[in-house]
Amino acid sequence: MTPTRRHILRVGGVLLAAPLAARLAGRAWAEDTVEIVMRGNADGSQVWFDPIGILIRPGQSVRWINRDPGNSHTSTAYHPQNSDRPLRIPAGATPWNSDYLLPDESFSVTLTVEGTYDYFCIPHEHAGMVGRIVVGRPGGLGGSTVSSSASQGGEPVPDEALRAFPAVDEILRRGIVRHT
Amino acid sequence: MFLRFAVAAIAALAMPALTLPAFAADQVEKAPPSGAYKKVSTLVKLPDFLPGLGQLYVDPNTLPAGPFLAYDHNGKLVSTVYMLPIEDLSNKDKSFDNLAAPGGKVDHVDVYYNAGHPGVEKPHAHVVLWHVSKADEARVAK
Ligand SMILES: [Cu+2]
Repeated sequence: MTPTRRHILRVGGVLLAAPLAARLAGRAWAEDTVEIVMRGNADGSQVWFDPIGILIRPGQSVRWINRDPGNSHTSTAYHPQNSDRPLRIPAGATPWNSDYLLPDESFSVTLTVEGTYDYFCIPHEHAGMVGRIVVGRPGGLGGSTVSSSASQGGEPVPDEALRAFPAVDEILRRGIVRHT
Repeated sequence: MFLRFAVAAIAALAMPALTLPAFAADQVEKAPPSGAYKKVSTLVKLPDFLPGLGQLYVDPNTLPAGPFLAYDHNGKLVSTVYMLPIEDLSNKDKSFDNLAAPGGKVDHVDVYYNAGHPGVEKPHAHVVLWHVSKADEARVAK
């Protein structure tokens, strides 16, 4: 079998104590690394990230792992450096792109800049395979909230993807938003 | 942007195939098929064996429609698959005409939606000409 690939990318920025932390007792918040799985159904008619929305602490790591036996997926930040996509991560944060992950391969990033991060799967953006991570506070240090459908420049985000993002409010309220 | 790159990469990989006689009497019953067919997992990042489809070969020049030739774990041809982008199917100015069908006898046909995968990124329909019985589809289920 292909050995599990694990890349660690440290995303630079200032680590802030999040005032929300005290109020949050969510499981994800307490873990060192939160896991987001990439899945699809048997005939490939549906593909998704699960959870689709998650709240984490600054400095926490996120690992995507492909659990779809018949497809490959990517985790790719909305950022002009990734195929000229609009900026939908905090202005000071470093974008990531996992490249294609085969079944059971994984990819990790550590997110230190507060704010809201939107990402997509390269071959499945048009199928609505996107996700949202809130690090600390949604409109924190990076200054970019990206919570609405507004996007600056680049190739527009398809409607299927815009409809799929969970609301920032719901992520803050529940800590974790599962794929349904 | 990315798609253009992927197409270019596939085209580059396809180059050596162009030097082969394109219409040689292709042997397709057993993997690997002769002629211009390449194993899909060597062209793009996809598992070697796709659950539900099997091990796929395609002539890169025929992308995205194919035919893709699908083999079971023993290398026996089980189906011929066409991948037709939804946006092309709903475009009155586009059609898919005279697609090759080298696999011979067809037992039954499945048509279903696929959200996309490397090689054919856009949402598309899989049109599967099964050369084996419905019961024998299990040979590529996993
Ligand atoms: Cu995907």
